[in-house]
Amino acid sequence: MVKLSINGQEVEVKEGQTILEAANSIGIEIPTLCYHKALSPYGACRLCVVEINHNGNIMYHTSCQFPVMEGIEVQTNTERVLKGRKIMVELMLARCPESEKIQELAEQFGVKETRFKKKDEDCILCGLCARICQERMGVGTIDFINRGIERDIKPPFETHSEICRVCGACASVCPTGARTLELKELSLREPNPILSEFNEGLAKRHPIYIPFPQSVPKIPVIDREKCIHFLLDECETCSIFCEAEAIKYDQEDEIIELDIGAIVVASGFDSFDPTAETKYGYGEFPNVITGMEFERLVSASGPTEGHIEVNGKEPTNIVFIQCVGSRDKDGNEYCSRVCCMYTAKQAHMVRDKFPDSELTIYFTDVRAFGKGFEEFYNRVQGENIIYLRRELDDTIQVVQNGNGVVVKAEGHPDIEADLVVLATGLIPREDSKELAQTLNINLSADGFFLEAHPKLRPVDTFTDGIFLAGSCQSPKDIPDTVAQASSAASRVCNILSQKELEIEATIAYVDETLCRACGFCVDACPYQAIELVRIQYLGHTTDVARVNEALCKGCGTCAAACLNGAIRQLGYTDGQILTIIKAFGEN
Amino acid sequence: MDEFEPNIIGFLCNWCSYAGADLAGTSRIQYPTNIKIIRVMCSGRIEPVFILESLKKGADGVLISGCHFGECHYKSGNYKANRRIKLLKKYLKEMGVDPNRVRFEFVSASEGHRFADVVREFVEELKKIGPISLQITP
Amino acid sequence: MTEVIRFQILEDIQSKGQEILYPDKPRIAISMATCGLAAGAGKIYEVIKKEVKDQNLDWIITETGCIGFCQIEPLLYFHFPGKPKLFYGNLTEKKARELIKALAAGDIKQDWILWKIEDEESIINEEKYHLGKNENLKDVPLYKDYPFFAKQLKIALRNCGFIDPNSIDEYVARGGYSSFYKVINNLKSHEVIEEVKKSGLRGRGGAGFPTGLKWEMCSKEDSPIKYIICNADEGDPGAYMDRSILEGDPHSILEGMLIGAYAIGSNEGIIYVRAEYPIAIEKLRNAIKQAEGFGLLGKNILDTGFNFNIKIVKGAGAFVCGEETALIASLEGRPVDPRMRPPFPSHSGLWGKPTNINNVETWANIPPIIARGSDWYSSLGTEKSKGTKVFSLVGKIQNTGLVEVPMGISLREIIYDIGGGILEEKKFKAIQTGGPSGGCLPEDSINLPVDYDSLSEAGSIMGSGGMIVLDEDTCIVDLAKFFLGFTREESCGTCNSCREGLDASYDILNRITEGKAEISDLDLLEELSHVIIDFSLCGLGKTAPNPVLTTLRYFKDEYIAHIEEKKCPAKVCRALIHYTIIPDKCTGCGICFKLCPEEAITGKTKEPHFINSEKCIKCGICLDSCRFDAISISSGDL
Repeated sequence: MVKLSINGQEVEVKEGQTILEAANSIGIEIPTLCYHKALSPYGACRLCVVEINHNGNIMYHTSCQFPVMEGIEVQTNTERVLKGRKIMVELMLARCPESEKIQELAEQFGVKETRFKKKDEDCILCGLCARICQERMGVGTIDFINRGIERDIKPPFETHSEICRVCGACASVCPTGARTLELKELSLREPNPILSEFNEGLAKRHPIYIPFPQSVPKIPVIDREKCIHFLLDECETCSIFCEAEAIKYDQEDEIIELDIGAIVVASGFDSFDPTAETKYGYGEFPNVITGMEFERLVSASGPTEGHIEVNGKEPTNIVFIQCVGSRDKDGNEYCSRVCCMYTAKQAHMVRDKFPDSELTIYFTDVRAFGKGFEEFYNRVQGENIIYLRRELDDTIQVVQNGNGVVVKAEGHPDIEADLVVLATGLIPREDSKELAQTLNINLSADGFFLEAHPKLRPVDTFTDGIFLAGSCQSPKDIPDTVAQASSAASRVCNILSQKELEIEATIAYVDETLCRACGFCVDACPYQAIELVRIQYLGHTTDVARVNEALCKGCGTCAAACLNGAIRQLGYTDGQILTIIKAFGEN
Repeated sequence: MDEFEPNIIGFLCNWCSYAGADLAGTSRIQYPTNIKIIRVMCSGRIEPVFILESLKKGADGVLISGCHFGECHYKSGNYKANRRIKLLKKYLKEMGVDPNRVRFEFVSASEGHRFADVVREFVEELKKIGPISLQITP
Repeated sequence: MTEVIRFQILEDIQSKGQEILYPDKPRIAISMATCGLAAGAGKIYEVIKKEVKDQNLDWIITETGCIGFCQIEPLLYFHFPGKPKLFYGNLTEKKARELIKALAAGDIKQDWILWKIEDEESIINEEKYHLGKNENLKDVPLYKDYPFFAKQLKIALRNCGFIDPNSIDEYVARGGYSSFYKVINNLKSHEVIEEVKKSGLRGRGGAGFPTGLKWEMCSKEDSPIKYIICNADEGDPGAYMDRSILEGDPHSILEGMLIGAYAIGSNEGIIYVRAEYPIAIEKLRNAIKQAEGFGLLGKNILDTGFNFNIKIVKGAGAFVCGEETALIASLEGRPVDPRMRPPFPSHSGLWGKPTNINNVETWANIPPIIARGSDWYSSLGTEKSKGTKVFSLVGKIQNTGLVEVPMGISLREIIYDIGGGILEEKKFKAIQTGGPSGGCLPEDSINLPVDYDSLSEAGSIMGSGGMIVLDEDTCIVDLAKFFLGFTREESCGTCNSCREGLDASYDILNRITEGKAEISDLDLLEELSHVIIDFSLCGLGKTAPNPVLTTLRYFKDEYIAHIEEKKCPAKVCRALIHYTIIPDKCTGCGICFKLCPEEAITGKTKEPHFINSEKCIKCGICLDSCRFDAISISSGDL
């Protein structure tokens, strides 16, 4: 341990630490710019220079680099240091007068205008990009070239680099934003940004990210498919920043076995992807978006903070098309139930934001069935929003028109639009079949989970103890989902509140006097509920099959397999069935 | 003369086919009334004896319907039924009984339509095969 | 091999060398270092060879290094056995041919002789070699009395201009390698370090760090691999003392490094030399080969078990490579960015191993210190600056060249006694010491003793030993701008303060020379300069503002004249000067009229001409071409 003083405050830190680290450990802040916790210090910006008194010898050094020494007295904010820092900022501002980030920095230091000759640069040569590329990404695409005033940061031979992975790490650390512009100068490869799933691909996300603001638990996850550490064993920057040391790269997916009494399946739905329906031009024109994308666009916490923009400008002619991916005789035949009302809501929001815009909605039947829905629909209609009716079989086509599109709907004049919002329907989750097999529950013809009875048992499945809630069962709006979920919860409580659980009465029973312990039933039982046991019978020792009644689910397979008719399925004994057969056969 | 109306006994598993038949009913789907349904918990419960007995007792056809493969409520009962019925059909042929009088189908709980279709088809087929006669005529 | 035998070998070489150095037949040695070659020594060497051959003379023709008096190159000495050595300078091919003819005929061309040597001294072994006397040459000054050399004391430059740099024998003849023999046979490594420490030798590269202390730090490091580096990346413009030693006496560096390696415990030596010194590299290569041939380099040196190899690495000539850590970065193949110390190279240098770096002149000083002892060395110089220092004396001075003087000598003695005063009897204005990052000292500091501390007190530095003498025709602002222009390009560019700060300073200076600055800019310039010094990492940034600060300190009036009166007192800054023709002197010859590239001069033949100041680009062609001194330059008073 090394003892030193910073601004008169005694501090004891580990040998090898820098003054900056020591200062931070006792809450003394020193301004930095080219410092990055995960990178080797470089000392380019000189903002973190401090005054160091070493045995009466006054020195000025960058605190990000200078190692702590026994007995040194550090002053972080002397007049001389502050004056120098201000000049450093002035010099940076003179170099990059147009950089907004440098302007912000200057403001923090109280520098309004630089006194030095202004240049036209966008890079302050802090070297963060080169360092992260080399040290964390393990590539080394760029480094400094030349010296003095000619200094620049470039790939070798100032040409496109072959090793650049266009990962964008350089851009992510650039304090002036210069690197973002130059990414395409570094490599001929196309950048492949990681798009945020939650924001419908409208914003980027990091390889380590919190899926969405309300996620439970609100804990970041690492995308192993994109993380440089998992792909190439480099980086590990996040673990350096995590003060809680919570990042563990060796964590693996685990299977946790829980003893549970009931399951509520509330796995939700997928949104219909209209890419394949080429008539809508989705994926082809940037002007055509889905209802879900519109929701992210209009959200105040979304990627645009609520500004609706298409190709960088606010739309003036907006067309909504309903029933996309729903009520389609050749596809999803069902009605998705929510699209009519969300379209009405979205149109209402657009009208609110752009009072002068042209709003048109193509609909087939507006299904405003819920409480207050019809009233809302009437209100929206009164907001100068045009509802145009078209039959489901009528053709509709979205074609390009300059920077915008034209919507050609059968029986209606063409409408020029700069934004088309598709009211995409709800479809079963891609993995619902897999889940159905795992849980031993059924799917309806439309692919949603099947309830035990559409009228009488709408929350139950055929499997005892498994219940359905929400859109995994069928498209639902929020009130319906909440209602069904509450119901499922109460059904679960029903089970969990009982002291004893009734089991199937139709379990198998072995008539031990007939059993000859052939073991066929043991093999036939899918639940390992039957085993052969040794018993004393009439003074003889003999083996018989015995059913574990708690394990038996009552399928009767053993009864069918028994060679001697020794096993009976209660409620479905051979005699009972044969009696029915006899009755039916007599006609 | 009245048209021959075959008498069908159907063994339906509780979880898929019986529910499918129930759905056909609640959905008001029309299908022939020739079938009389015996509910079992699983198609794996069905012993060949039941089928033979049905034919013997006067059924013109026997329909066994279970879950689709992989969807059996009891994991594997429908596989066992499938094996037994295939063997039985070979045996029926030797006995001089048209194996087509026994039909094994998969109908899931959501397939009310399919259940109706299966019954309709089976009735049509049995009409072509004609009535069964296992009694030894004096 | 016993110690006795080892010494016997050295003595054998020594006597053989003396036979070559002082042969029993006439010997001519031509100074063929870079300065000599630039003056035409190469051609003269060919001419003399041919002439000697044509006349069938059994003479030895050889080359030697630079004796320091570059002004009078090409230079040669002629030595007839038993007679004094005679030096002839300012040779031309014609003059050389004539000289050989005369010498062959027994005429020594007494008028041409610059100086003579009757007794040649070796600083190492204090031996005097009596060459001979010639009573007829009483009027010819002795070398030691010749003004340029009289106040010099040559320790680092001891052999330059006296021996053939290609010959290890001649080096040994003048006491070479005897110090290393002494060290390896008689001294323990700590004793060597103690001796160097006691000598008070300080690094001659610029910073003046005590050499012995540096060695001690490195020797205490526990590492199987240690590196010894000779910094021969002489980057100061106008400084060439290192080159002169490398070209004139390469073995002195090898011997110094050998002693250092023994003291520190290193087996690997590297000479980092700039690629712009091809002759130096050639001489070094040759010297290393010879030393290896004699078992002085390589494995198991002199059978003592001591191993030491030296390799040469060529640098691409960046000024900043003179900085230790930048030099190491360059050796490792990285961009030449200096880094933070600690860790010091003595702890973690090249490839992370303990490394000791000294510059050429420092290494060359080591053998005499060992041979003559620390007491002798520390008796030279001042209290805190011991020994001698080589300066390259250039600028507006009569005698330019390399001078090695004891520390503490006054600037006046250097400028007037050695340098012979200012050219064309103009007024001495200032002297710039320490290269581009040194300072500019005014006339009233002429009695300043030249040592590390006095110079630094006056705001300048010793640096590597550049000395530029300026006369009244030098604009001080323009000079500061020149040096800033150099350092802003040679800065590595890492520190914001140095890269952008020097560029901003340059811009202000430029505006001053263009008459576009305001008086407040001077305060800004001074403020900025102090911040650059505080906030920059390495020596370059910490000294680069020195030219600005010293000139602001001593010549502020001149800055103010530029700004307030728009006047350049030295009439240098183009934007502030005007060319006019004095009608009384102009004869109307028309030469300027014809030569003016901008057609700015008009006038009728045989009548006074005029310069159109709007067209004039101030190129100065008219001034140079006028034979009647009719062109005058004025500034500020138009």
